[in-house]
Amino acid sequence: MSALRTLSRLPRATIEFANLILTTPDATIGATPRDTIWTHRETTLYRYRSAVREHPVPVLLVFALINRPEIFDLRPGHSFVEFLLEQGFDVYLVDWGVPDDEHADMGLAEYVCDELHWAVRETLRSSGAHELTLLGWCIGGTLCAIYCALGLSQAVRNAILLTTPIDTRGSLYARWVGRDEFDVDLIADSWPSIPGAGIDWANKLMKPVTNYFTTYRRLFAGVLEGRDQRAGYQAMARWVADNPPFPARAYREWITWMYRDNRLVAGTMRLRGRRVNLGCIEQNLLVVTAGSDHIAPREGTVPLLGLVASEDVTHLARPGGHIGLMAGSRARQEIWPELAAWLAARSGR
Amino acid sequence: MAAKRESPSPVEQVAQLWGRASEGAAHAAERLIEQAESDAARASERLVASGGFSALLGQMAENAAALAKLSGDAMDLAWRNLRLAGRRDVVRLARQLARTEDKLERVLQELEALREELAKRERGRR
Repeated sequence: MSALRTLSRLPRATIEFANLILTTPDATIGATPRDTIWTHRETTLYRYRSAVREHPVPVLLVFALINRPEIFDLRPGHSFVEFLLEQGFDVYLVDWGVPDDEHADMGLAEYVCDELHWAVRETLRSSGAHELTLLGWCIGGTLCAIYCALGLSQAVRNAILLTTPIDTRGSLYARWVGRDEFDVDLIADSWPSIPGAGIDWANKLMKPVTNYFTTYRRLFAGVLEGRDQRAGYQAMARWVADNPPFPARAYREWITWMYRDNRLVAGTMRLRGRRVNLGCIEQNLLVVTAGSDHIAPREGTVPLLGLVASEDVTHLARPGGHIGLMAGSRARQEIWPELAAWLAARSGR
Repeated sequence: MAAKRESPSPVEQVAQLWGRASEGAAHAAERLIEQAESDAARASERLVASGGFSALLGQMAENAAALAKLSGDAMDLAWRNLRLAGRRDVVRLARQLARTEDKLERVLQELEALREELAKRERGRR
């Protein structure tokens, strides 16, 4: 585009760019119809019914505690939930909700041994199935791994872990919060629920130029070139900006146990007196890692493959980022069909 | 009848040259910006991974937490002295509600377990 043409488009592009940013909070995300199956405290279990249900083993989606689970159902035509329903899976999703100060006492034990365990139970009751697939992403994957390792239920047939932090040695987070000088207790004592905006700011600080400049520069360039980015940009931007608080006890345990002590791989994590032993994971296991993941780097997940007792283990090492791998523009053509194919082969009677 | 002109007029040629030159300059500028951006991104990622930055970030987080606690405690105390219900009171009530909900959930689970046991025995009897 010539400089003159660029200049002539500048005023309109500026207004359109501003409109894109300012109307982002109104973007529609998480639109697939669903039923509320069960609630407890802030946790809600949702069911998405497939019109072409083919696989008797339902899938329970588990996301992180520090972001909303709508990433699984980002927007019509680009929703992993929609995709799974089209492939004939009955889909459930556990939504951790938006905790507040009164939930400060909720730790990892409450999330794994209570909320997740009860969500598994309610999924089986609602679906009539005897087994299910646990699909966890990010911290959700870690919670699923811990759940399987504790052996709280014999009903988990398959476990899928997406960009899941397991071994945190050498990670940037470990460098930031794993130091002895970092006073995690002061932070957890000062805030009954750690502000989501603070955690989001720290996440974005891992790639400051990319998150605070490049994203907007590319968006503006696209507007200038006349590309229609509204649906794609706004859905993702709205999700990124929606950060629930992190209950203080869960925050303290997550930082101390995962980033300071690395207890999961050391085998020293205990929940309610029971040792979390990754060697007790026997489910059919699919581990997906992303090559450009700076939040849960591949080298932090791969050690899991050598620790589990599962006979059926698959590792999909794919390019992409922590979220982009599953929510990017190519996900529907690339990783989603791979996940569905793996699941389909393991979700029969 | 005038012969059809096959080559562009001088004015058109200048306009084409100007267009190509400005497009070339625009592309070159774009590449320069992207290169600078890429270099800045790499430099900033090296910076945030450094020990000094980690220490600074930790202290900033602690400062923010300490300020939040001081201001929150001060406001709570002021509110309490006015004999008005404050955030702490609301949280205490909400926590009690949550504990009651926990107990209710466990009662429901026991009920469901008993119901399933009864159903199993009925099926066994038949």
